[in-house]
Amino acid sequence: MNNEQQEVAQFVIAQTPFSQIDSSATDYFAAHLDSIYLTRENQTQWLQSASPKLFLIRSGLYDLVDAKGDVITRLAQGDYFGFPSLLTGEAIQNRLETQKEGIVYMLNQDAFDFLRREYKPFEQYFVRAHANRLLSSHYKSQNESWSERKISELMSRKAVTLAPDASIRQTAKKMKKYGVSSIMITEFERLVGVVTDRDLRNRVLADEVDPKEAINSIMSKKPKYIFENNRVFSALHLMLKHNIHHLPVLDEHHKALGMITSTDLLRQQKSDPVQLIGRIYKAHSIVDLKRYAAEIPELLRGFSHNIDDISLIGKLLSGLTDALTSRLIHLFQEDNGAAPTSFSFICFGSQAREEQTLHSDQDNGLLLPDDLSEAHQDYFRRMGEFVCEQLVECGIRRCPGNIMASSELCRMSISDWCERFFKWIKSPTPEAMLNCKIFFDLRFIEGSNSLYTSFCEQLTRISRDELFYAAMASDIKSTPVPIGLFNQFKLEKDAKQHKYIDLKKRGVVIINDIVRLYALKAGVRRANTQERLDALLKYPQLNNQDVYNLKDCWRFLTQLRLRTQINEEGLPSNCINPDKLNSLERHQLKEAFYLIKQAQQAAAFKFARGSL
Amino acid sequence: MVKRWLSEYISRQRLLAKSVFSQRYLVIDLELTGLDAKQHEIVSVAWVLVDQQCIKLSKAEHYINKEVKQLEQSPIFHGIAQQEVAQGQSLSDILNKLSRHFDDAILVFHNATLDWSFLKCAFKAHGISAKPKLIVDTFQIEKKRLLQQGQEIALDDLTLSACRARYGLPYYANHHALTDATATAELLLAQCHHISCANELKLADIVKVAL
Repeated sequence: MNNEQQEVAQFVIAQTPFSQIDSSATDYFAAHLDSIYLTRENQTQWLQSASPKLFLIRSGLYDLVDAKGDVITRLAQGDYFGFPSLLTGEAIQNRLETQKEGIVYMLNQDAFDFLRREYKPFEQYFVRAHANRLLSSHYKSQNESWSERKISELMSRKAVTLAPDASIRQTAKKMKKYGVSSIMITEFERLVGVVTDRDLRNRVLADEVDPKEAINSIMSKKPKYIFENNRVFSALHLMLKHNIHHLPVLDEHHKALGMITSTDLLRQQKSDPVQLIGRIYKAHSIVDLKRYAAEIPELLRGFSHNIDDISLIGKLLSGLTDALTSRLIHLFQEDNGAAPTSFSFICFGSQAREEQTLHSDQDNGLLLPDDLSEAHQDYFRRMGEFVCEQLVECGIRRCPGNIMASSELCRMSISDWCERFFKWIKSPTPEAMLNCKIFFDLRFIEGSNSLYTSFCEQLTRISRDELFYAAMASDIKSTPVPIGLFNQFKLEKDAKQHKYIDLKKRGVVIINDIVRLYALKAGVRRANTQERLDALLKYPQLNNQDVYNLKDCWRFLTQLRLRTQINEEGLPSNCINPDKLNSLERHQLKEAFYLIKQAQQAAAFKFARGSL
Repeated sequence: MVKRWLSEYISRQRLLAKSVFSQRYLVIDLELTGLDAKQHEIVSVAWVLVDQQCIKLSKAEHYINKEVKQLEQSPIFHGIAQQEVAQGQSLSDILNKLSRHFDDAILVFHNATLDWSFLKCAFKAHGISAKPKLIVDTFQIEKKRLLQQGQEIALDDLTLSACRARYGLPYYANHHALTDATATAELLLAQCHHISCANELKLADIVKVAL
């Protein structure tokens, strides 16, 4: 009896990993195969989670498609598939689409496991192939954009809480009972502190504190927290930035809901931007930083591929820029000694609003205490120059308007900064208005938070000026919304006679401006437009319906901007030809512009009544 | 007698109405010393089972007839040498093993006229009753298909490798009986797929050879 399938064996031994291992592996493999003729009609019946198999393509062409219908890779002769389920035991997530039918060999789980056990190179080959598959399909399938998910979706544990007057021992007992490594201390359902295993060790045992004492003496007061509606990404960023492993989750009324831990989150992620941010925060040299920064564009391409919420991209990029900036400041201090006084490194404009794109340039500055000595001023000059220069090296372009910490005009003491703002406020020339739009969106990145806070307080005080609001409101109104008298789109034309609407200039920017105005008036110290709107819900200037409308408009327009990236007509960036939209989208776009127009008029009415 | 014939006829008609894709097939290939069943011999027999469109390579069988007297030109062609023949099995053993599958599978040959005539003679000579429930011939399927497409058929258009090439199936250099049986099984699946055009395909549509 001679059952050797010569043709099969000859084919198999020419394929990796069999070409590199003992021919007995090929013999075993060939002797345990079945073969199918894979077609469009029967392609679904072979990929069954109940009986996973390794497939090796002998002939034909097949597309491996993920759950969302995106092609992960095209498979042809000599390619394997099906191994992820064999390796992980998880259900099959991808499916096949036959492009050209042909012969495919199949191996069952038992035989696959035997080969993995007996032949190390076989095992290594498929484990590596699996890892590569994860990388190449990026966020596309497996991750299911995990970082976009809401915190509430992965928070399983219920809140374990205690009152601040409970004793340390009671706290430890409660933590033991619930098997948790951290506990929230709440008063009238509001979070007042957090205690972790580590606190019990470092602040109680090591310091010989009496366990009968109240827990509020040793708890971490004013802990960082996150809202249940925030994205997983934000939670990870917070944890990495502050090096904390437990993050209380609150509902919108600040009621404690539960705790998420870094382990909870790490379970969700495989490889992604957040890890990159983590690596950036830990980078030990500029060379490392640059290497990480070089990964950003590629990372983003994969990320933006099937992202539902484009605003996340802006957040992500701003997060990366923040991380780079803050790490550079640390590296500078390592080489040049710690900063001689407190300082705040801040950012403006799109970075502050967390609306950065890959093409955004730097908008940053240094906030310094008053009356610095020459030597100290020189130190911060070098810091500003170093950070800005290295950011350029990392791919974040120089600001053409020189809004950078390397410039003297953006590296000033609190009083000088205030004076500069004051001038713009008092003489609202068009140029001053333009500056206000950039500089009033500001955010703290690194250094002393209290310096930044006191600056913000002064800024709020000096900007409380009705004439200034009026000037801003009429400036906002001077940008017309592209809707005509009879509810028709008013199109712009470029040199090549393309007709288009500029979604950014005539939509998103106007909303940003309106929201900024209200935020200034209400004293909301946020830079992100969505966050400002959320905060404005509590203020009387804008009724809640208007807030929700603006939020929806903003989201709709930003979403539509995604389209402009796949711009087949060669229109300017951020522009769209409304003829290309379907009737529903056209209707929504008109509605959005109409709402913006109303908001413009309302702002002008509220703030500029006297001057119009 | 009539009753038996009738019941056979009815079960055959029932079978013919079934889908080609859900059947069990036994794909057989023989190596022969010549083309005349009366004077030439069977050198080797190979078969592979196809169940629910899956070719059970791992359960394929191949036997050499150790009683073969004259190998004529075939040693070069089939790659079977005298010493291999010595390690073979007796033809009656092989035929017994083969006939066990006849009850639950449809027989498939590439050019059944030749191979089945040899097998029929051999079964008769060894006193083994073997009645296949149905025979499918990939050679005839291809011939019918080409004729329907209005093509003229040259002599070598219907060889196994020519047929396979038409469906883009891989080229197999060797002509081991086992390879050819597997190759025929693959051809059958490809033919069924192409003829069905994603529609239902009944056995009656591909069976032309009467028993």
